[in-house]
Amino acid sequence: MEFISYLSPMFFALIGFGVVVGIIFGAIPGMTATMAVAVCLPMTYALDLTNGLALLLGLYVGGISGGLVPAILLNIPGTPSSITTTFDGYPMTQKGEGERALKTGITASLFGGLFSTIVLFLFAPTLADFAIKFSYIEKFLIILFALTVIASLSRNLLLGIFSGVLGVWFSLIGTYDVSFGGNGEYRLMMGWMEEYLESGFSLLPVLIGLFGLGTILQEAEGGIREEIGKGKKLDLNGGAGFSLSVFKGQIINLIRSSSLGTFVGMLPGVGGSAASVLAYTQQKNFSKDPSKLGKGAPEGVIASESSNNGLTGGALIPLLSLGIPGDSTTAVLIGAFTLQGIQLGPLFIGNNLATWDTMMVALLFANIVMFVVMFFAIRYIVKVITIPKYLLYPGIIMMCVVGAYAINFGIMFDVWTLLFFGLFGFLGQKVGLEVAPFIIGFILGKQAEVYFVKSLESFGTLTVFFTKSPIAVVLWILIAISVAFSIYGLIKQKKH
Amino acid sequence: MAEGSSLLKVSIDFSQSHLFFPNIIHWILLILIVLIALTKGPAFVRSLKDRKDNQTAKKSKTDWMRLLGTIVLTIIYFSLMETVGDFFPNMGLGFLLTSIPFMFLLSILYVHEPGRRELVTITLSSIISPTVAWYVLAQMFNITLP
Repeated sequence: MEFISYLSPMFFALIGFGVVVGIIFGAIPGMTATMAVAVCLPMTYALDLTNGLALLLGLYVGGISGGLVPAILLNIPGTPSSITTTFDGYPMTQKGEGERALKTGITASLFGGLFSTIVLFLFAPTLADFAIKFSYIEKFLIILFALTVIASLSRNLLLGIFSGVLGVWFSLIGTYDVSFGGNGEYRLMMGWMEEYLESGFSLLPVLIGLFGLGTILQEAEGGIREEIGKGKKLDLNGGAGFSLSVFKGQIINLIRSSSLGTFVGMLPGVGGSAASVLAYTQQKNFSKDPSKLGKGAPEGVIASESSNNGLTGGALIPLLSLGIPGDSTTAVLIGAFTLQGIQLGPLFIGNNLATWDTMMVALLFANIVMFVVMFFAIRYIVKVITIPKYLLYPGIIMMCVVGAYAINFGIMFDVWTLLFFGLFGFLGQKVGLEVAPFIIGFILGKQAEVYFVKSLESFGTLTVFFTKSPIAVVLWILIAISVAFSIYGLIKQKKH
Repeated sequence: MAEGSSLLKVSIDFSQSHLFFPNIIHWILLILIVLIALTKGPAFVRSLKDRKDNQTAKKSKTDWMRLLGTIVLTIIYFSLMETVGDFFPNMGLGFLLTSIPFMFLLSILYVHEPGRRELVTITLSSIISPTVAWYVLAQMFNITLP
């Protein structure tokens, strides 16, 4: 019960603040939960780990949830994970049931969020206990598995793999770290860079560049259009009011969609859009009246929103038990842990029980705050979407600079890194590279090298990767399944 | 069996071990590039040809003014920040003094129908937000700013 001493009023205030800011980011199309966490990271520089995490988890939950507002009212998903919410949410608005749709979505979000928090609480410590026994070989295979999963679910298989491997390449720039048994030699760079890149690119400027500046450049290319025309009003018509009876007969839908969201969240690098699309199609398959879906059926909103909030807890499972982020937002969270000098991995929960417990409290509280704020203040949040982007975006670039500059206590090189990766993210997506695999590759690349090279150095043969332990065999089977899955997907794609 | 496993034997020279993994990555990247070129190449060349044919349609999609404007302004902003900051060491004023004009100019670049009301909000926002950020971060939280 040591963790209770950490739960100060400041802790809860930060969660609340995070949730509200997160909802705003989520509700504004073009801005995502990942961006919210990346841009607000500098605020945690001055906080301790518990309070910093409180803020970031609030942002995460709020950011994922806020996306439903424009999805339902404007037919524009606020975040990619709300795409399927538009299918039924917007038709409901057109029927004058905007408020009912919003509140249905919010309640489903709460269920999904709480469900996944419980799964996280029960499952992560078990997985971590199991993973403690892993040697370098199993750890390497886990990373390999993570990368194959990301690739198999990316839009284009080859480009997805390429993005991931390119991420690994960028992570290797710098010295071969002596503290991990490397020889301390520089590689992959020119002489003049040695001064700045001794330990490689810092994670945070890379993340902030890709998700902050990169996104804004994309928007700038599109001309920074304001989605809400001057004449368009965002009135929440009375219509049919919300009552819990919407959820009658939807319990199975709720549980199935939340489980799917949580499961998809666990898969590394797979974001909320995959979760909600999967849950939505499943609901369509199982629905009593599938023809209603897409025409304003609350069950569609329920499936979509409970699954994308189910993602939050799910994505934290591999992060906290294995050190592998489950989606791009949790990848940014890794940055926050590194900042506090905490190494994520199988030992994290056991060594930081109090932190783990406070994180659970934070997630629980964040979901409740999200529900209360959105349910009762939905009319005010709706107004937020009307804040013009020409005011917001310059401010975001400014916050990006703060985040990058302050991370290593004032190095201008980090700001240039931010610019470089902002441009890289923008141009990369033009040629079909994908950010999620890239960033996961970047985060895991250095570890993959150490695990791989050290295993070879001590065993001297490649066969050890297959014969080390039964776990290694199981991991190979999983890798084979994910490769087979991606090839199957590729063939199916070709047929269409 | 013994022969098969000897093929998979690897010994790594420690003094060169920093290049071992990067070399593997280079090979994988190279193979992937070849595969991508083989699968995507023909379609890509075709789309390039198509693009040439209806270049005007493509042009209207990209807002070059706002895109390049953002990049140029950001580069100027980043470059000036430290120079200005050197005049007032350790006060974060380089950040504050460059952020205000940067935000103002970028907002002006982004706004679609600049009227009196828009100009007033832009001016206020570009003064207030950097000041608040600077005050909260540099003064209250002691975070290093340029």
